[in-house]
Amino acid sequence: MSDLAIRNLFIIPTIVFLIVFNIFPLLYSLGYSFTDFRASTNAPANFVGLDNYRTLLSDPFIWRNFTITAKYVIVSVTGQVIVGFGVAMLLNREIPFKGLLTTLLLLPMMLSMAVVGLFWKMLYDPNFGVINYALGLGKFEWLADPDMALYAIAIADIWMWSPFVMLLSLAGLSAVPKHLYEAAAIDRASGLYTFFRITLPLVAPILMIAIIFRTMEAFKTFDLAYILASQPTTEVISIRLYKMAFQEWQTGMSCALAYIVLIMVLAITNIYIKYLNKVKER
Amino acid sequence: MTQIALHNINKHFGAFHVINNVSLTVEDTEFVVFLGQSGCGKTTTLRAIAGLETIDSGEILIGGKPVQDTRVEERDVAFVFQNFALYPHLTVFENMAFPLRAVRTPKAQVETTVRRVADVLQIGGLLNRRPSALSGGDLQRVAIGRALVRNPKAMLMDEPIGSLDAKLREEMRVELKRLHVEQGSTTIYVTHDQIEAMALADRIVVMHAGVLQQVGAPEDVYANPVNLFVAQFVGSPVMNVADVTLAEDAGGARVTVAGATQGFAFPSALLGQVAATGPANRPLTLGVRPEAVRLTLQPAPGAVATEAHIIEPLGSHDIVDFRIGDATLRARTKAGFVPGPGVPVWVTLDHSRAHLFDTATGQTLGIRL
Repeated sequence: MSDLAIRNLFIIPTIVFLIVFNIFPLLYSLGYSFTDFRASTNAPANFVGLDNYRTLLSDPFIWRNFTITAKYVIVSVTGQVIVGFGVAMLLNREIPFKGLLTTLLLLPMMLSMAVVGLFWKMLYDPNFGVINYALGLGKFEWLADPDMALYAIAIADIWMWSPFVMLLSLAGLSAVPKHLYEAAAIDRASGLYTFFRITLPLVAPILMIAIIFRTMEAFKTFDLAYILASQPTTEVISIRLYKMAFQEWQTGMSCALAYIVLIMVLAITNIYIKYLNKVKER
Repeated sequence: MTQIALHNINKHFGAFHVINNVSLTVEDTEFVVFLGQSGCGKTTTLRAIAGLETIDSGEILIGGKPVQDTRVEERDVAFVFQNFALYPHLTVFENMAFPLRAVRTPKAQVETTVRRVADVLQIGGLLNRRPSALSGGDLQRVAIGRALVRNPKAMLMDEPIGSLDAKLREEMRVELKRLHVEQGSTTIYVTHDQIEAMALADRIVVMHAGVLQQVGAPEDVYANPVNLFVAQFVGSPVMNVADVTLAEDAGGARVTVAGATQGFAFPSALLGQVAATGPANRPLTLGVRPEAVRLTLQPAPGAVATEAHIIEPLGSHDIVDFRIGDATLRARTKAGFVPGPGVPVWVTLDHSRAHLFDTATGQTLGIRL
């Protein structure tokens, strides 16, 4: 076979796969988002223009879903950065079994979302859950309490994804040259001053990348929230989307909502990337 | 007033004795240079003074206060790193302001101090640049500037110009000397370049294998090396050394290079001085610097005949290689004095600048003729 043939042999299946399963649905659903199509009926799709978008953007319930999602993203990502970066700081020194310890700490991230959801459902259980037992909270209903449920989901997410932030932070921290810390000590900088003036600015770009990834993921969270709780207060935007598409069968409307979500994620990511480039310039 | 004193300091890296019982006093405003090969312990000693390395035993006093158990921050010394260790994300101004801001100096004072020091170092125009946009010489000036802004008790410099090219190194050497004269801070400077050491130091400290070999003024270390290591490390080109035998000859002394048929005539006083230090027939090594070797193109009384082997023309002078017995020696001559390789030459030595070492111990016999 010629080089060209081998190249095509490797590339074409990927391209075909990408077109069939990603590009085609993406464009097709864009088309649907301008119709009143319902996948549950045989009725033909009618073009309705921007009606779906207009309805969605003026629906106070959708905005409530977005608010819940925003709250979830902020709590979850902030928690992951604090825990992940903190653990990375602790690990960034000479300690015995560092490699093993790091690998063990990465375990939560390697589990399936559904499994993590089921684990935490048991951990939170008001009757036999180990969390209430450990904290001495009696029969506190973590997942049934409308105020607490969203935070409970965020905690599970923090547990699962802090290792990701930790891993990237660790890479960033170990890339800070040791002689800069020596120079800072010579310059009589305190530990806190060194952290804010040397460590943090130098790790910022890679930390930023971790934050971008985690924000995008948290914005799209579905599995954890779906498995753990079914409160109105935990209905993040993906759950609303899922219900709209596959329980209410408003296919056209849900395509429009999916596009709104997509545009929002892109917008947030863009803001981050702009900031990342600014940080990197230094 | 800052005197730095080391009392019997020791340090091991595993089984390696990197600082071996070093004692030394650096006087206030003195410029002392630690000179030695890489791995001799000079940088480790400097870092120990700064507090960047711990020591196993001994005492380090800065301004009379023992500091060996205190942290870097408390020692109040400035350190210029070989790789400069500038903060890459901060501008030149912020780099130089860092030591002041770290101890919460008022803003106005930071501003004036940094600008004053930047003017002294002629980097006033670079204050808004980042280190990545600077040349090697400017990076070095910023690193020194960061050390100067805080009026430290002492300046410690670890091969600060080692990574610059030869021409720039020469310029910066002069600048460092000028700065030291102006600022007058106690300075310890580490280098492996003996020319740098000679040019800068009030006193040179020669180190080898963790042990202080010799401490003294540059001209003293150059003229009177205490052992073969110092003799061969200090000076360029290196001192000639050759195994020799000593004999009495016609009312004088004769020093014969191993394998040679003819010896150099020396005054008879040599025999008495050697005898005073031990048996005269023990293995001895002659050390003589190229400029103390005289070549003539005609036979001279007491001169050893040989022929020129390699000639290195260095512009201001030539270095001529020749063989006597088993040894290859070098002489410094006027430029073009020996017309070419293979030309017969006659060699005499300047007795007053010849050294004899005990071959077994490497120590000088302290001969003065």
